[in-house]
This record gives sequence, structure tokens and C-alpha cells, in this order.
Amino acid sequence: MTDLIFNVFILLTIIPCFWVALSSNIVHAAFSLLITLFGIAGLYVLLGADFIGVIQVIVYIGGILVLIIFGVMMTQRGKLLPLSIQLPGKLFGAVLTGVILAALLLSATRTLWPVAAVLGEPQLTSAAIGDLLLGKYLIPFEIASVLLLAALIGAVLIARRSVRGE
Amino acid sequence: MIPENFIQSNLQGISFIGPELILTLAILLILLVGVLLPYWRHRILFTILAVAGLAGSVLPLWKLPQPAPDLTYLSNLFVWDWLTFLSKPFFAVVGVLTILLTQVTGEIDNSEYSECTILVLAVTMGMMLLVASTDLLMIYLAFETMGILSYLLVGIRARDERSGEAALKYVLYGAFTSGTMLFGFSLLFGLAGSTDLLAISQKVAFASQHPQDRLLLIVAILFFLAGLLFKTASFPFHFWCPDVYEGAPTPITAFLSVGPKAAGFVLFIRLFYPLFATGHDATIYEAVSGLDWPSILALVSAITMTLGNLAAIHQNNLKRLLAYSSIAHAGYLLMGIVSLSDLGLRSVVFYLVVYLFMNVGAFAVVAMVASAGGSEEIDSYRGLGARAPYVCVAMAIFLFSLIGLPPFAGFVGKVYLFAAVIYKKIYWLAVVAALNTVISLYYYLRIVKAMFLEKPTETIQIQVPLSSRVLLLALLVPTLGLGIYWQPLARVVSGMF
Repeated sequence: MTDLIFNVFILLTIIPCFWVALSSNIVHAAFSLLITLFGIAGLYVLLGADFIGVIQVIVYIGGILVLIIFGVMMTQRGKLLPLSIQLPGKLFGAVLTGVILAALLLSATRTLWPVAAVLGEPQLTSAAIGDLLLGKYLIPFEIASVLLLAALIGAVLIARRSVRGE
Repeated sequence: MIPENFIQSNLQGISFIGPELILTLAILLILLVGVLLPYWRHRILFTILAVAGLAGSVLPLWKLPQPAPDLTYLSNLFVWDWLTFLSKPFFAVVGVLTILLTQVTGEIDNSEYSECTILVLAVTMGMMLLVASTDLLMIYLAFETMGILSYLLVGIRARDERSGEAALKYVLYGAFTSGTMLFGFSLLFGLAGSTDLLAISQKVAFASQHPQDRLLLIVAILFFLAGLLFKTASFPFHFWCPDVYEGAPTPITAFLSVGPKAAGFVLFIRLFYPLFATGHDATIYEAVSGLDWPSILALVSAITMTLGNLAAIHQNNLKRLLAYSSIAHAGYLLMGIVSLSDLGLRSVVFYLVVYLFMNVGAFAVVAMVASAGGSEEIDSYRGLGARAPYVCVAMAIFLFSLIGLPPFAGFVGKVYLFAAVIYKKIYWLAVVAALNTVISLYYYLRIVKAMFLEKPTETIQIQVPLSSRVLLLALLVPTLGLGIYWQPLARVVSGMF
């Protein structure tokens, strides 16, 4: 049963990716990304990472993706420049991607991954994450806040410029 | 539950990140001053605050215990060794020079100046953390702190399309390569089940004995290289470099060419060597068995320097020319990484210090000439030697040092790099590097020739203010001094490894 659900989530993750990459309509691409991100949230939950799964839904689907779709809809006035990649570029990209994909698939199946035995019911992870954030990873947590502050200042600077430029 | 000793050890470890805390305080102070005094946005005030923050950040270093290779702090996230100890002042100097250069050239508008100083301080903080980190999570966080905020710095100049285009190119390349590197991190995390570099290196050494695991290690190494070669602007991840260096404000270009580039090379030493080379106690390292990455890197090094130098020949914009020259220098620096020896690592660090002064110097002259009424094109340098002799002599010295001519500091740095590869008997790379030095003579001397031997095509008056002259002097002294009396630096560097 779990295997079946796992496979469903994998298909949910991978298949929309083709639309994201290949669709010429950017709104379709954005909506396909939504399904992909939902599939990833499902995979997180199946791996026992309940907290990350919920965060994935709230932050990526609820926040970032909605922003992307809004951004696409509000800025799409006039004609979009068609992306044109020449054939040699396409060929080179295809070969490179193929080689990387083959190497990743081979290494994923051949490598002797250390596998931990799963004991009983999955545990709630939010308490453990909270302990780590205020314990071992306290400093990275604080540094992330400095990064966000500085990025916020920079973002305000760039946004302010476009208002004044009019 | 968080045990009591956890809090204790965190409190003890705090003193080791004193420099970063002081920089954060300076950032907050500049932010507050900028908000409270909106109508009195004096550049000099922010400059003083930022420089004081950077200078103050170095002070706590001398109160800390003697660095040791196994002295880790804050739950093993950071290590307190000589590389950490000496990198922090290095990056503080990079930050100070950048801020002084923005102050004297006035390239950034007053309305963006306080934000610019904040971003420079924050990137400096990221670089300081990066060199001390021994945990994949912390390394990536510091790497992105440095990266994301540099994208913003490139795009900071208002009303300039080139700046925006440069920032976008930088973001796209940066996001792709750092994402690739993160994928590599995740592969090794999957293999080792830990983000600690020491634990991973043991697992990697173990896995390299098993043929099944080797492919994974090769993929991981290549993915790691994507991030590192991007930051150091080496082939095949150098395409962004000329456009970004040309589009960014010149002081920021100078900052990128020495700050994140140096951080990339330190990351080679901090991340790449412990994971993929064995024999940390010996003076000679060996690549993890079965993976010949030094040969790949040697090839990358040769291609990078040749490509950079050949492309630089045709450039007429000085910032583009110096961008290609900085690609070529990444190639020279990679020679030290390739040589897999303490001598090589020392030569990299030595060259980075020398490169800091001469490269910032060259960019400083470009910025000063542009802000004094000239342009960044080589045409406006024709006959400049007669009208602004001091600046032109300084430029000539920086360029001679970049070529690697005695008695300037660049010569000594290059001798160490060449010695490292010759000692390791990689003669072909030394020959390629020597040929490249000859090629580079051509385009560096083209500038010198334009300045001193050609007649001016236009008669712009070049007035360089006193503050710029003092800053140039501060860059000239180490460029000349380290070329004649380099033993102190060599002694400090040789104590590191």
C-alpha cells in the first residue's frame, strides 16, 4: 500500500516537470510546478518528515508559488520574447543532461547506501527540529536571519528604484 | 530537551565568532543611522561606521587562544585553525578597501550608499564564516550569504541597464552552480549520514575502496567543482565573469575579484582537501584512490589561464580586460591546488594576499580615471601619463605586478606557484603557465603603452583628489614591499599548513 502511494507521489512529482520545462505558456508551467511541489510534500510525509512536508505546502505552494503565479499574471502584458535556442545548443544540452542522468541513475542504484532500520510508528519531528534549531544549529539559525535581513534591505533597494525611475 | 552543557559550550563558542558579531552590530548600526537620519545621509558617516566595524571585527582575534587544527567550537560547526585565524583579517582588509574605494570614487549614489556598505559588510561576514566552517550545512549557508548578497551588490546601481543585466546573469549562473553543488552535498550526506566534514571524509576514504561507490564519488566531486569553479571564475564556469565585472560598479567589481574568488580558493582547501585528499599530516597529499581529480583540475587550470589571456587581448574596455585577466589568474592559482602539497596550498594563500593588493589597485585606478572625467575605454588612457603621472605610474606598477615581473609582489607569488607544480613534477603545466605569462605581457603592456607612449586623442583634464592618492599609496606599499621583503608573509603562511 505504501509503495503504491509512494509511486503515485513520484509520478505526481515527475510528470508535471515536463510541462514546466517544455510548455510555451508560462502560466501552464507555473501551475504544473504547483503539482510537482505538492508531490514533493507527499514524499516528505511518506519519509516520516511531517514537519518539512507541512512547511513545503505552506511555504512553497502557499507562498512562493502563489507569488510566482501572481507575478506571471500581472507582468504578462504585451508579447513575450520567444526563447530560441539553436540546434547545436540543444544537442549539447541533451548530451550533457543525458550523461548526468545516466551517471546519477547508475550511482543511485550501485552505491551501497547506509540504510537505517525503521522502528515502529513514525515519530513527530517538530520537537526534535525545535531542539536542534535552538541547540546545535543555533548559530546557523541566527546567521540565516542576518542573511534574510540583508537580502530584505537589498530587495527594498531594488524595488524602490523602479518606483522612482518612473 | 537542551542539556545544560550545550548552553555552556554555545556560550564559550560565542567568543570565537566575535568578528562576525561585531560586523552584525555594525550592520544594525548603519541601518539605524540610515533610518534615523534620512535627510542627512552623509557618505562619510557610513564609511566611518563600516570601516570601524571591519577594523573592530579583527580586534577580538588576538584575545583568543592559539589556533590548532583540531580546535572546533559551537558543536563542531567551525574550526579554529591558522587558516581561519588569518583569513578573517584578510577579508576585513578586502571589505575596508572596497568601502574606501566607493567613498573616494563616488560611483554609488548617495541614496544607495548606506545599503551598499551594509551589503559589503554582510558579504564579508559570510566569507569569514565560510572559511571557518567544517559542516556542510554551515558551509552552504555561508556560501549563499556571500552569493545572494553579491548578486544584490552587482545590481545596486540605479538607472543603469548594464548593472541590471550583469546582476541577472550573475544570479542565473550562481543559482545553477550552487544548486549543483548542493546536490553534490546531498549525495555525500546520503553516503555518510552526517554533515560533519570529518565524518564524511572517513566515509569517503572507506567508500573509495569499493568499486560500487566510486561512481557516486566522481559525480559528487564534479558537482562540488561546479560551485567552486564558478566562485573562482574558472573554466567552464567563467562565462558570467566579463559581463558581471563590466556591468557592476567598479569598486564592487574589485570586491568580487578578490573577495568571493579568494573565498572559493579557501573553500578548495577547507572543503575539497579534507574530503577528497588523504594524508593531512604529511606535506604531500594524495587524491582519494581511484579518482584522479588533480589531473582534471590541472587541465582546467591550463584551459582557464589560456582562455582568459587569449580573450583579454582583444578587449578595449579596461574592466572587461581585467575581468579576463582575473580569469587567467584563477588558472594560475589552480596550479597551487593541483600540486597536492603544503607548498602548493601555501603558494595559493601567498598569491591571494598579493593578488588582493595589485588587483584592487588596478581596478581602483580604473574607477578613479572614470570618476575624474575619463572613461573605462582604453582610448581615454592615451597620453594619460603626462597629465596624471602619479595615477599612471601606480597603474603601471599594478600591471607589472599582475604580469609577474620582478621586483613586484606578483613575481614572488608566481615563483611560489611555479615552484609548487615543478616540485610535483607537473612540468607541462609550468610550461603552459610560462607561455601564458608571455601572452599576458602583450595586453597589460598595451595599457602601459597607451598611457606613456601614445598621443592623447582628447584633452580631458584628470584631477585625482588627495583621498584617492592616499588610497593608491596604501595599495602600492604592499605591492612594492612584498616584492622586495616578502619573508614575513612567507613565514606566516608557512605556519598555516
